[in-house]
Amino acid sequence: MKKLLAVLVAVMMVAMGACALAEEGTTLTVACWDLTTTPYYEAIKTAYEASHPGVTIEWVDLASQDYNVKTSTMLAGGDTTDLYAVKELSDMQNWAAQGFIVNLDEKIAESGMDMSKYAGMDTCYTYTEDGSYYALPFRADYWVMFYNKDIFDEAGVAYPTNDWTWDEYAAIAREITEKTGKYGTHYHTWLSDVANWAVCDGVNTLADGEYSDLKYFYELVQGLEDDGVCMTYDELKASNLHYSGAFAQGNIAMMPMGYWYASTLIGYIKDGTANFNWGITAVPHLEGVEAGASFGSPTGIAINAKSANIDAAWDFASWMCSEEGAKAIAETGTRPAYVSDEVAAVMASADGFPTDETSKAALLPTSIALEWPIGDGVNEIKTAVNETHTLIMTREMTIDEGIEEMEARAAEYITE
Amino acid sequence: MAQSAMTTRRSMSKLEKRNTLIAYSFLAPNFLGFIIFTMIPVVFSVVLAFLDWGGGAEIKFVGLGNFQEIFKNFSFTRSNLGISLKNTVFYTIATVPLTIAFALGLALVLNKAVRGANFFRAVFFFPYVASLVAICVCWNFLLMKTGPVNQFLNAIGFNMTKSWTSSQDLAIWAIIIVSVWRNAGYYMVMYLAGLQGVPNELYEAATMDGANAWQKFTKVTMPMLTPTTFFCTIMMVISCFKIYDVVAIMTQGGPGRATKMLVTYIFELSFGGEGIATSAQYGLASAVSMVLLVIVLAVTFVQFRAEKKWVNYM
Repeated sequence: MKKLLAVLVAVMMVAMGACALAEEGTTLTVACWDLTTTPYYEAIKTAYEASHPGVTIEWVDLASQDYNVKTSTMLAGGDTTDLYAVKELSDMQNWAAQGFIVNLDEKIAESGMDMSKYAGMDTCYTYTEDGSYYALPFRADYWVMFYNKDIFDEAGVAYPTNDWTWDEYAAIAREITEKTGKYGTHYHTWLSDVANWAVCDGVNTLADGEYSDLKYFYELVQGLEDDGVCMTYDELKASNLHYSGAFAQGNIAMMPMGYWYASTLIGYIKDGTANFNWGITAVPHLEGVEAGASFGSPTGIAINAKSANIDAAWDFASWMCSEEGAKAIAETGTRPAYVSDEVAAVMASADGFPTDETSKAALLPTSIALEWPIGDGVNEIKTAVNETHTLIMTREMTIDEGIEEMEARAAEYITE
Repeated sequence: MAQSAMTTRRSMSKLEKRNTLIAYSFLAPNFLGFIIFTMIPVVFSVVLAFLDWGGGAEIKFVGLGNFQEIFKNFSFTRSNLGISLKNTVFYTIATVPLTIAFALGLALVLNKAVRGANFFRAVFFFPYVASLVAICVCWNFLLMKTGPVNQFLNAIGFNMTKSWTSSQDLAIWAIIIVSVWRNAGYYMVMYLAGLQGVPNELYEAATMDGANAWQKFTKVTMPMLTPTTFFCTIMMVISCFKIYDVVAIMTQGGPGRATKMLVTYIFELSFGGEGIATSAQYGLASAVSMVLLVIVLAVTFVQFRAEKKWVNYM
């Protein structure tokens, strides 16, 4: 028995040695989520390996809904996966606090990387304690307005333009419902979809403890609900209707949504789930706010402090977030964090993307505000504001009561 | 005596030793699993309640800091702990008696040799084995604004204007209804077993004494069923304090914080959720777990103390 074991061990060791010899060059492992349904991972790997012979990229696929729990546990357990995609900003803060990921300041200074190219999407990757960068953004989704051209044609209403206001938008939505009997617009149940628009001006944030700026948007949405222009929050919650399917049914004229929906919709049109012409425009703006202003959140990449190939990992991370990497990502219909005119051209030429000029122009928003800032107490405030949002939308509180409640609850965490 | 026991133990024969070892080896897989997956985590979570830990290498001892944090500004209407405590207790107080009443009622009806009794027993037991997610989604539809339940209530004169799960007052009742509906069948089986154990002589004697049906129920059936009721109450109270699944599927703790339960709050502190950003605070989460543990222990202790006063063992 013992001899058998010894032989087995010897065989295994030889085999492992042979494997190590066979692998020349470097293999970088990268933790990510939804590998099979997200085409850009493969595109990044192909493009990087082609331009960097000798380096192999290996994606480590983790379940999306457990990603934060799983990655934090892996990092805590001393895992040596070289890079980690950052799904939630709060996770990155936590990882930086625990010393799990590499401080990138030196690398950024050495390489002379120009952080302004990320148009503000990079700032949230600084750790609040020391102000250093701990991750780079490779993808940044911002919000646009999707619209169903067929319904606009049916109603005889002109397509929206990139410089419209929220008042104009509401009027168009009402007109379409009146003329066609279809839904003029659609709001998903998220706070982002209903009231986050207040942060587009770049001045207000949702963590400042002052929420009267949300009032206009709540009144707008509830007015549209009352007039039957959109489905009610109550209906959507009880029926668990997801926005992706709702818009694909073809009886909704407009829907404000994150840019990520474009690749989903292109997929739906290709496989026949949806069957209509569509386009995007910039989200409407308030009087006094620049047209084309939107909000969004980035997705980033961080380097594991326990990685054996930190330099190679940095090379890959910085490439992924460069114009080259951005183009590889853009080809799959996803919006990279760095969007130059050239990258926007690649996005617009993605198979299935609408060809009209308005849609193309909507790919270059004038500004993108961060959906949520980072800082102490923001997580608690975010939770409180989201909980109160459900009370306003179920009409358990009037808009004024709800805003008062948001301010009262946020104050508990701001004074600290 | 002790001396002789010791000697017998020392002089355990080879065969006995072998048998003991075999017994241990059969126990080992289960016991190891219990130690690794239950015992160690439980002990660790007790320790964790006194630590500040975000999942990483850095662990700080904070003494009672976590408890101070969760009890800060304690209030049943404002603070997270107060609200989830109030909701959990309300849910338990409503669910336990209702489930007992329905389970006992069903058991009494189906204990008779009525035609199709077995079929109906299976029907009422079915919710307990059916997929919980499917059940909750169906109930969400039934309790919708324009769903059958509201249509019926409107027809008999109520004025229902919104889905149950969208109302701060009714959302918790939606959870209670689903829980009672789901669990009544299970406890019905317990009561059916209990009813089998009531000797027929007692009913015969009661009949001889001229007792009517109601008297037989209150003076014979109920007292004879007290051990079953005791067991069911203990099990149900514990499981009610642990309520999480139905809430997670039907209301996610909302609207607002109307159905936030203790375990929902623990989950939010550890793992977050949609719109919930307060995650990875394992120390705080463990402190709330300790509060839950103390409450369940206290309630169970009181129940066992009270047992002597009302439970009859023949």
